[in-house]
Amino acid sequence: MSKVKSFFYLFSALFLIWIGFTTTFQPQELGLGLIISLFLSTIFFKTYVGLGFPPLGIKRFLFALIYIIVLFKEIVKANLDVAYRAVHPEVPINPGIVIINTDLEGDVARMVLANSITLTPGTFTLDVIGDHLLIHWINVETTSKEEATELIGKRFEKYLKIIFA
Amino acid sequence: MRDILSFRGFVALFLLGIIVAGISSAVGQIPFGQPDSEVGQLYLENGLQDTGAPNLVTSVVAGYRALDTLGEVVVLFVAATGLSAVLATSKRRVERELEDASLVLKTGCRIFFPLILLFGAYLFIHGHLTPGGGFQGGAVIGSAFLLVYLGCSGRRVSADAAGAIESLSGFGFVFLGLLGLLVGGSYFLSNFLPKGDLYELISAGIFPLIYILIGLKVGSEFAGIVDSMIEESK
Repeated sequence: MSKVKSFFYLFSALFLIWIGFTTTFQPQELGLGLIISLFLSTIFFKTYVGLGFPPLGIKRFLFALIYIIVLFKEIVKANLDVAYRAVHPEVPINPGIVIINTDLEGDVARMVLANSITLTPGTFTLDVIGDHLLIHWINVETTSKEEATELIGKRFEKYLKIIFA
Repeated sequence: MRDILSFRGFVALFLLGIIVAGISSAVGQIPFGQPDSEVGQLYLENGLQDTGAPNLVTSVVAGYRALDTLGEVVVLFVAATGLSAVLATSKRRVERELEDASLVLKTGCRIFFPLILLFGAYLFIHGHLTPGGGFQGGAVIGSAFLLVYLGCSGRRVSADAAGAIESLSGFGFVFLGLLGLLVGGSYFLSNFLPKGDLYELISAGIFPLIYILIGLKVGSEFAGIVDSMIEESK
């Protein structure tokens, strides 16, 4: 990603967050927010180069919104599943560590995938090494890499692939 | 049950009874809800007109008792200096293999570091309007540098820059106070700037300036502490 784009991304993120904090459009607040955002993005835009942020687009934005809903749905589902396992008298768990594969390129995309897997209870990303993710799974259903990828990763990855394409 | 009925149990119960009686008779004499000190009521009634800051805590910390705040900042400075002195002279240097943090932590650190700095700046700039202030904002900035310590290994805080910002902001604090003594009238750190309109960003005189200086000072102190810990763990 080019430097100009990194600068633009960081600057707009900072300025939008500033407006969100102050929740006002008073010229004093906006002016100060502008100055601080410019200052911080001038210093730190270099750390955003090469992270793999996607370009802007309406389709990506819509899919990002859908992704939030999907993630929420998966979190609720996994919560119920883990709660069921916790209260069941026999405690039907089979914990273990599996490796899954990801087709996602770019650090940000992989970070979002890893954090989404961690956010759903029952699965937990231990580490990301190259295009492999180490997952701790509360109920290991399969030890095969392909099947585990299908079960754990693909439900998020199919959306992330479009967002970060 | 047998333990309680024994002689030792009776002695313990007797002593416990004395303690309970003593504490309850002492606590019973405290007139709760009727403060002896009248200064708190005075602050509550006059704070808004005196200082022009809607956040009453700020008008106490940066206004009425600003001199104490200067002392607190000095305490923090001494603590940071003491820590770096201890770490610099510790003889046990353990050779450790450093390993890179995982991709999640590294990427998260790179993305969120500037955003955390923005949040800290927001907190200390709006100290006179919203809950928060210089110390809280400075602590948030310090936590951003802690994230760098955990996540972005190889990225260092410049100790010289942290020291320079810290000294300059401490100097600025004292300078503002002396300026208040010179311009504003009779006492150190008097609020000599116009109070402005209530709830505006630029209001309450020197409070935002004091809190910005405190925020920078506390933040750079924390950054210096983190840096000396990185130095020690090398």
